[in-house]
Amino acid sequence: MKGVLLKDLYIARSNILVTAVSLVVLGFGLSFLLETSALLVLAPVASTTAVFISITSDAASKWNKNVITMPVSRGQIIGEKFVFYILLAVLGLITALLPCLALGFFGAVITIPSLCLYGAIGISATLLAGGISLPCAYLFDPEKSQIVFMMSFMASTGIIVGIVLLINLFIPVKENILLAFNIVLAISALWFFVSYRVAVKVYQKRDIT
Amino acid sequence: MTNALTVSGLTKTYPDFVLDQVSFSVPSGSIVGLIGENGAGKSTTINAALGLIQKEAGQVSIFGKEGLNDDTKEEIGVVFDGSNYPEILSPRKLNGVMKNIYRSWDETAYFHLLKQFSLPPDKPLKQFSKGMKMKLAISVALSHHSKLLILDEATSGLDPVIRDDILDMLLDFVQEEDHSILVSSHITSDLEKIADYIVFIHAGKVVFSKPKDELVEQYGILKCGAAQFDALDKADIIVYRKMDYEWQVLVADREKMQKKYPKAMVVPATIDEIMLLYVKGEK
Repeated sequence: MKGVLLKDLYIARSNILVTAVSLVVLGFGLSFLLETSALLVLAPVASTTAVFISITSDAASKWNKNVITMPVSRGQIIGEKFVFYILLAVLGLITALLPCLALGFFGAVITIPSLCLYGAIGISATLLAGGISLPCAYLFDPEKSQIVFMMSFMASTGIIVGIVLLINLFIPVKENILLAFNIVLAISALWFFVSYRVAVKVYQKRDIT
Repeated sequence: MTNALTVSGLTKTYPDFVLDQVSFSVPSGSIVGLIGENGAGKSTTINAALGLIQKEAGQVSIFGKEGLNDDTKEEIGVVFDGSNYPEILSPRKLNGVMKNIYRSWDETAYFHLLKQFSLPPDKPLKQFSKGMKMKLAISVALSHHSKLLILDEATSGLDPVIRDDILDMLLDFVQEEDHSILVSSHITSDLEKIADYIVFIHAGKVVFSKPKDELVEQYGILKCGAAQFDALDKADIIVYRKMDYEWQVLVADREKMQKKYPKAMVVPATIDEIMLLYVKGEK
């Protein structure tokens, strides 16, 4: 899996750098308008676009046909993309923390609960979107999967709202906002894991030509 | 003699094509050429043997073991038509990727092959010609101590000089007695140069699987007129084809046929001609 991950890092390197620099610049820019920690909502989602660059590149070069003949299992091929997705989301989160820490150092009010809240929202949206779009990238052709990729972010926002409303039936969300979004995060993580298992199962039976 | 690869009863059905009970083997130390026209089932056979597509029936055994595990894959080098590597990578970056995929990756051998083929290690693959990409793919296939090379139309679309370089390399590879090659191509002249055995697939079925020398040295085309054709013993005819001014009959033993039909002209048959007669002729 390490070799395949390295291949994806080579492919997405320039995209990762551009995204990271943009996030840092955006973080400082946002500080004049709203709370910088709100960048944590956007950062993980924005960072994961590199996964779809690698999936498109794989499709264009027919890499998937080649890699199956190497000592890499189908499960590992799928697993690597899910791991790459999480790595990028975490990288995005860390990058977004840099301007927060810098501004905090210079006296801006950035609280741990707000960082946790926005981080939980950002990671939840990323996991929900990835759980939809990653398996579809192996089910559909590249054009369709790109549409699914874009739609998945909208869908994840809707799902988060739905889950929050559902939680609100049992726990008043306004008074327990961090707890509510941690529940959303747990559900998103479970969804992402289930999606990975489904993708592996589907890919095992798929003809690669 | 042991077999590096044995395919038996391989079956796969598509809406418009059936790979029907394909069986053949690649003996250790030999080069087997898989021939057939476009769409005959060569790539489907290779894809099914490599586990890229799900087979409906049949067995594939590599080095005596059924199924493909990681240990077996370490010993197989596969080259498809096209390089199938991300174009953004350079050969040097590809080395980094491959040494983390193959346990037996031999970096020294890889860079030696790059030098031998004059492939620039730091140039992105998108700047490579088709011939360079193919040489790179073969370099990768040879750099992890493979014992079985599987090439699917690897020489298609290449100029004769590069094709000849690749054929020389394949001949070098098979000098080791435990090294074997399965090479599919519709350029039969290439296979005539290097193959020990020829497996001919037509419309998803194996038409024959024979030593190349038997085909080249014994098979022949009997050329005759209509009256002579009518007088032929039907058991001597493998396939025949009516041309504008003559009948062409594929025969299994040209010397015997020349003696039996002294008035007919019996000429040696190339693999191309044998394939054409099978595809376009009648039984």
